[in-house]
Amino acid sequence: MAKRVVIADDADFHRMVLKDILTRGGFDVVAEAVNGEEALSRARALKPDMVILDIVMPLMNGIEAAREIRLIEPPVKIIMCTSLGYEPIVEEALKSGACAYIVKPLSEKKVLAVLAALKD
Amino acid sequence: MDTSKYKALYLQETNSHLSGIEAGLLELEKGSLAEVDNLFRHYHSIKGMSASMGYEPLKVLSHAEEDLLEKIRSKSLSPAPEMITTLFECLDALKALVGRVEADEPLDLDISAFLTRLKALSEGKPSPAPQPVFDPTVAVQPAAGGGGAELKISNVMKVEGRVFDELLTTVGDLFMALSSFKELSQHSRSIELKDGVHLLGKSINTLHQNILSARMLPIRDLTESLPRIVRDIANKAGKEVSLRVEGTEISLDRSILEDLGSPLVHIIRNAVDHGIETPVVRESEGKPRAGTITFRAHARKDRAVIEISDDGRGIDSEKIRMKAVEKGADPRKIAAMARKEALLLVCLPGLTSAETVTETSGRGVGMDIVKAVVEGLGGALEIESEPGKGTKIRMELPRTTSIAKTLLVTAGSEQFLFPITKIEKVIERGGAALSTIEYAGHEVPIVDLASLIGLPSEARPSSTIVIVELEPEAEHKGFIGFKVDDFGVELDAYIKPLLPPMSRLWGVSGITIMGDGRPVFLLDIPQILSRASSRSSS
Repeated sequence: MAKRVVIADDADFHRMVLKDILTRGGFDVVAEAVNGEEALSRARALKPDMVILDIVMPLMNGIEAAREIRLIEPPVKIIMCTSLGYEPIVEEALKSGACAYIVKPLSEKKVLAVLAALKD
Repeated sequence: MDTSKYKALYLQETNSHLSGIEAGLLELEKGSLAEVDNLFRHYHSIKGMSASMGYEPLKVLSHAEEDLLEKIRSKSLSPAPEMITTLFECLDALKALVGRVEADEPLDLDISAFLTRLKALSEGKPSPAPQPVFDPTVAVQPAAGGGGAELKISNVMKVEGRVFDELLTTVGDLFMALSSFKELSQHSRSIELKDGVHLLGKSINTLHQNILSARMLPIRDLTESLPRIVRDIANKAGKEVSLRVEGTEISLDRSILEDLGSPLVHIIRNAVDHGIETPVVRESEGKPRAGTITFRAHARKDRAVIEISDDGRGIDSEKIRMKAVEKGADPRKIAAMARKEALLLVCLPGLTSAETVTETSGRGVGMDIVKAVVEGLGGALEIESEPGKGTKIRMELPRTTSIAKTLLVTAGSEQFLFPITKIEKVIERGGAALSTIEYAGHEVPIVDLASLIGLPSEARPSSTIVIVELEPEAEHKGFIGFKVDDFGVELDAYIKPLLPPMSRLWGVSGITIMGDGRPVFLLDIPQILSRASSRSSS
């Protein structure tokens, strides 16, 4: 079965780019969220294999969402999307439950390489 | 990454962030910090999107502005008037750059002076160049002239899919109301009423067509990424596969297209993983090293037919039968199944786990999901396969949602809606009950619709035969005639999907409420045909 993914980013643009990359890579994007709260509720309802979270989002940011999502059973893999200049936050993200991170700009090679390196 | 596809969305979102920045800076100038978080996010978003699009100057400039905002946000700097002026000027520069993106012009504006000033401000130093350094002659006029004094609205609108759903529902209600008026005007002598109803009907139709066409997307949007998917799966599986794609200009309703995405990937994955043999095996069987997968779509009236075929090892229907019996299916039923029906057994959830089926039948996971999605959309799924030669999965789908052209027919004591697109011809016959009828040079078997559905048939002296083509795609034409007891008006019916438990009803796929409040079911022709053809042949 294709891995089921929830993606969260407040920019339609980035969700579209990311969704295309994931779909081409054989992933199944089961839901899209525009903020941390939505990401959390989608992850709770859909129990995806992974959630890809942008960090800077309104209402609930990616790090806050990650802290909640990591409590979901069965465990959901959390991948953070950080923007250039946010590398210091990566450490905080990893502490909040993320297992990998992708630094924007998004490229197909980069995204798929990060996901391929995840351990099952 | 081919970014051209994302450009419209980039421009749309960036322009909305630019407006947000303008509003935020005005707030900041008034001395309010309420918008600082949002301002920061606007710059941050522009930076991220520009980076992904490869628009370097836009990325660098918005990054520098974001840095300054971060300082204001964290209160390590307070917004001095000079700072706000600079941010406004930088905003004009951003606008000019975005204008160049829009006009497909090179982004060769010199932004170095802005960067120096932003950097100095971020470090708490006074701005080294207090004069605006942005040269308006280099900039695109509309954005730069007077700092964005021109008001412009994009002619591309972003509308949520939900709005179209609501519009469609409203049109459905209009159709319902119209059918009441039509009935009224039929019994009336008033020319004004008749004319009015006619005009109203025309307008509702136009409205409906416009809404539907606004929702249509070419199937290309879905198939664009197929070559890449095939390539990746083939590489992983050690197969050589070439993909042929035909007929992608056909458009379907957005929601249908959206739902088709993952079934398509399932089918393609199955074809590569389990259909196409390895190059060595293929050569030993006298086939070309590389397998071929063909995606073909074409329109048939208001339906779309999508076929995905491969020239791989095919499915052994006998093994599928055995597997089904092993899983507890009734052996007599399984044995009585026609080959076509038996092939569809791969869509049974229990039969499609990769471990059990891959080896024996050459088909893998997910066909149960594929079938459920296709049928949920009001479509039908067929599998053709010949061991050693290959497999063809054929999906017939509605191209639009919700409103169907139907013919009201009476079978026994009940009325049903018969989808008009399925009807070849309606023939009225008096006299004796016939078992066959001549049509288009064929001897067409007649099946009584009422008894097929399980209703008592009314022995009327005259009856009507509705001729339906069996397999429109087949080489040899075949027809079946349904005897109905009466037929009435043609209706543009707003079809509501059946919800559980009604969705389990046999032979019907939707429901509409008539002008007088009566519910009438829409016949599920593919389901009825499969039962009818097994009856007429036995």
